[in-house]
Amino acid sequence: MEKNMSKKPTVQPALHKVIMVGSGGVGKSALTLQFMYDEFVEDYEPTKADSYRKKILLDGEEVQIDILDTAGQEDYAAIRDNYFRSGEGFLCIFSITEDESFQATQEFREQILRVKNDENIPFLLVGNKSDLNEKRKVTFQEAQDRANKWGVPYVETSAKTRDHVDKVFYDLMREIRARKKDENKTSNGRGKDKNKKKKLKCTIL
Amino acid sequence: MDFDSPEVMKDFPGLYMSERRKGNDSDYNDESEKASKKDMIIGKRKEKKDKKDKDKGYAALEGESSDESSPCKAKKSKAFKFTKSKDKDKDKECPKDKGECSSKVRQKKKVKLGFGHMFNSDGENQDIAEALPIFGADLKDACQRGKCHDGVNIPLPVRECIDFIEIFGLNFENVYKVSGNKNKVNQIKKMYNNRQTVKLSDYDVPTVTSVLKTFLRDLPEPIFTNELLVRFEEAAAIFNYNTREKYLKGLLNGLSSENKELIMWLIMHFYNIVQRDQVNRMNKQNLAQALNHTLHISSKLLQALITHRMDFYPTMHIKKYYPPLDAGSTYPEDPNIIRRELEKLESALNLIHWEMQQGFSSKWRQDQLWEVQRVQTDLKRKLKKELSHSSQTVVPDETEEQPVSLPEAEEVKGECYKSEAGAAQVDVDTNGESEDEAPDENIHALSQPQNIQSDMDTDGDEEKTEADSQPSEKVLLLKSSADNISNNESKIKNTTESSSIAITFSNDLDKKQLEDIDYGPGRKPIELSTHHSVQDNSKLTILHYKNALLMDLVDNLSKSIQIEYDQIQEYKKKLDALPPSKGVKFIRLPHSFRHVRELLACENRILEIKKVELVREIMDLTEECMDMSTTLMAAADINESCMHMLKPNF
Repeated sequence: MEKNMSKKPTVQPALHKVIMVGSGGVGKSALTLQFMYDEFVEDYEPTKADSYRKKILLDGEEVQIDILDTAGQEDYAAIRDNYFRSGEGFLCIFSITEDESFQATQEFREQILRVKNDENIPFLLVGNKSDLNEKRKVTFQEAQDRANKWGVPYVETSAKTRDHVDKVFYDLMREIRARKKDENKTSNGRGKDKNKKKKLKCTIL
Repeated sequence: MDFDSPEVMKDFPGLYMSERRKGNDSDYNDESEKASKKDMIIGKRKEKKDKKDKDKGYAALEGESSDESSPCKAKKSKAFKFTKSKDKDKDKECPKDKGECSSKVRQKKKVKLGFGHMFNSDGENQDIAEALPIFGADLKDACQRGKCHDGVNIPLPVRECIDFIEIFGLNFENVYKVSGNKNKVNQIKKMYNNRQTVKLSDYDVPTVTSVLKTFLRDLPEPIFTNELLVRFEEAAAIFNYNTREKYLKGLLNGLSSENKELIMWLIMHFYNIVQRDQVNRMNKQNLAQALNHTLHISSKLLQALITHRMDFYPTMHIKKYYPPLDAGSTYPEDPNIIRRELEKLESALNLIHWEMQQGFSSKWRQDQLWEVQRVQTDLKRKLKKELSHSSQTVVPDETEEQPVSLPEAEEVKGECYKSEAGAAQVDVDTNGESEDEAPDENIHALSQPQNIQSDMDTDGDEEKTEADSQPSEKVLLLKSSADNISNNESKIKNTTESSSIAITFSNDLDKKQLEDIDYGPGRKPIELSTHHSVQDNSKLTILHYKNALLMDLVDNLSKSIQIEYDQIQEYKKKLDALPPSKGVKFIRLPHSFRHVRELLACENRILEIKKVELVREIMDLTEECMDMSTTLMAAADINESCMHMLKPNF
C-alpha cells in the first residue's frame, strides 16, 4: 500500500491536459472512448463530464494525456468555465452532418479564448462522423476556411471507423508540448511571459 | 418562566455568554493555560510513545513552533498569525488526497516539473481560508464549505475529530478535560480552513479534542441558538423525566437541521465517552463541566441531553466518515457500494465547482477537479461493467438495490431520516404545547387522554368493574411487559373489549415487534465498529456488535420499565383520589352486571396469558434479529474496510 504511494511522485512523465468541446451529440465521448479503449458505443448517452488519463508514447517520449470530456448540453454551461480554465489544449468538435453543431463551434471558440485569454492556445477544429459522408451538411472547404480564420488545423475524423482519431489527439499533444517548450524559453528570456501577465491582469481588473 | 431569577443564573453559568463571548473567551483561555502547560508536557511525552510514524513535515513545523508555544504568550490572535505565515507556502500545493505524498519539498518539485507557469500558480488558495473559512463560519456555511460527502450534514472537522476520538479517545484519561498543544490546534485549524487533508492520526487526543472544542467555540452563534438557548435551559431544569424529554425534544426539533444534526452527533459521542467513565474518568458531570463553556450551555443541560440521547433519536448512530475514493484507492466491486461512492464523488465535484465559482480556482484545485472527475469516470465505467456482468448471470433488478451487505450504510441511514421525520411530526404539537403550558400542567396533559379514553370505552357500572380489576392487574402487566405508553394504552382498551380485539391487539404488537427489530441494528454499533481493524476476526466483530445491541436492548427495556413505573405512580394517585364510597356501591350490582364482570375478568386472564406469550415471542424475535443484524453489520464492515484498505483514514 505504501509502495503505491511512493511510486507515484518518482516517475513523473509530462502531463498534457486536453479538453473536448462541442455541441451535444457530435461524438465527443465517442472519440474519447475510441482513443482510450478502442471501443465504439452506438447508443447515445449525454455526458455531464468525464475525465480520463492514458500513458502514451509521443514521438518516443512517454507522456500522460488527461482528457476531459465535457457536456455539450447548455445545462452544464455553468461549470464549463471551471473546466476550460484548466485545459492546455482543446479539441473543438462538430458533426459534419449537422450544420448547427458547426455554427456552435464559433461560440465555443470564443468562450475558450475568453476563459484562457490566449489566442495561441493549442486548438484543433474537428469534423466528426466522416463515415457518414452521404449525410454531409458541412463541406470540407467551409470548415477549412473557418479553421484558417482562427489559425488552427482542421481534421475530419470518424469515431466509428477510428479514422484520424489518434491523429487529432497526437497532433494536439504535439502542439501543447511545443507550446510548453516555447514558454519555458520565453519565461527564461522574460519576453512573452511579460506579455501574458499583462493580459491576465487586464481580465482581473 | 422567569429567567432573571438568581437560581437560574447560578445553574447556568454559560447562559448569557453568547453576547460577550469574545471577552469571556480569553478569560477562559487564561484559566486553562495553567492546565495546558502541564498537559503539553504530558502530551509530548505521550506522543513520543504513541507515534512511531511521526510525519517529518510536522516534526519540522513543531521545531519551529516550540519556542513560541509558551502558554502565557499564546494569545489566540498571536498564535493564529504565526501559523498563518508558516503555513503559507504549504497551502498552495498541499494535496487534499491522501494518496499523495505529504512531504512539502516533493510537492513543490512536482508543481515546477509540471506546468508551474501555465497558470497563475500563486493561485487564490491561501485566501480561501480567510474568505470562506470553516472555523468561525456560520454553522450552515461551515457545513457547506467543509462538506461530508456521504450525506451527513456535519462540518468535516467535527466529523473527523469525533471519528478520531471514538477510536483513540474513549479510553483516554480525562479526555476533553486535557487541552492540547495550542500551536498544533491552530495548525490543524488552518489546514481545515485551507481545505487540506488533515491526518489527525499524526496528533494526540488532547489536540484533537481541542480542535473540536475550538470549532464549537468559534461558531458565531451557540449551537443551541441565541433564540432557543434559554428555553433549552428551562427544559433541562424540569424535574419529571418524561416532561423534560418531551420539552427537549420539541426544542430540538425547533432548531435548523444543521444544528440539530450536529447536536445529535455530539450527544451520541459524549454518551460514548461517558459510557467509559471508569476508564477515562469522565462521567456525565465531569464531561459537562469540561464542555459547558465550549457549548455555551449549563452542565445541567448537557447532562440532561446525554441522559435522554436515546429517546430523541433511537436509530441514530455515529457513522465513521470515509472520504470519497481517490486515484490511489482500489475500487470496490459491489455495484451498490460503487453507487454510493459515485454519489460521494458527485458531491465532492459539486463542492469543487462551487469553490471555483467563488473565485478559488488555483492550480491545485483544478488538478483536484480533474482527478475527482477521473475517479468518477472510472467508477462509472466499472459500474457499467459490473452491471452487464451480473445481468448475464443474475437478474439485475434496479429496484432491488438495497443489498444484504449494506444494512449499516444505506438502510439505516434511511431509517434515521424516517424516524427523524416521525419524531418531527410528533413534535409539532409538543412544541406548541411546550410554548404555552407550564410543565406541571403538562404532566396532566400526558395522563389525561388515557383516562378519558377508558371512560368513553365503557359506560355506567362497567367503568367501575374496570377500575376495580385493572389497577392491580396492570401493575403486574406493566412490570412484566416492557412496552411503552402507547402500547399500554392499547392494552387498557383491549381488556375492556371483546376477545376479537385480542387479535388486533396481537397484530399491534407484531407491528411493534417489527419496529423494534428495525431499530435494533442501527442502535449503537459505532462505538465498537470503529474499534476493529480489517484483520479482526469476524467472530470478534460479531460479538462486539451483539454486545452493543444487547446493551441497548437492556437500556431500552429498563427505560420502558421506568416509564411504566411512572405511569403506575400516576394511576395510584388517581385511585387514591377516587371517593371510597364507590366501592360500596359496587357490591350492590345487579346479577347481569356481575356476569359481565366475570366475563371480563375471565377474558383478562386469557389476555394476560396471551401477553406473556407475546412477550416471550418478541424477545425471541429480537434475539434472532439481533443475530442476523450483527452478522450483516460485520459483513458490511469488512466490506467497507476492504474497500478503504489502501487508504489511510487516520
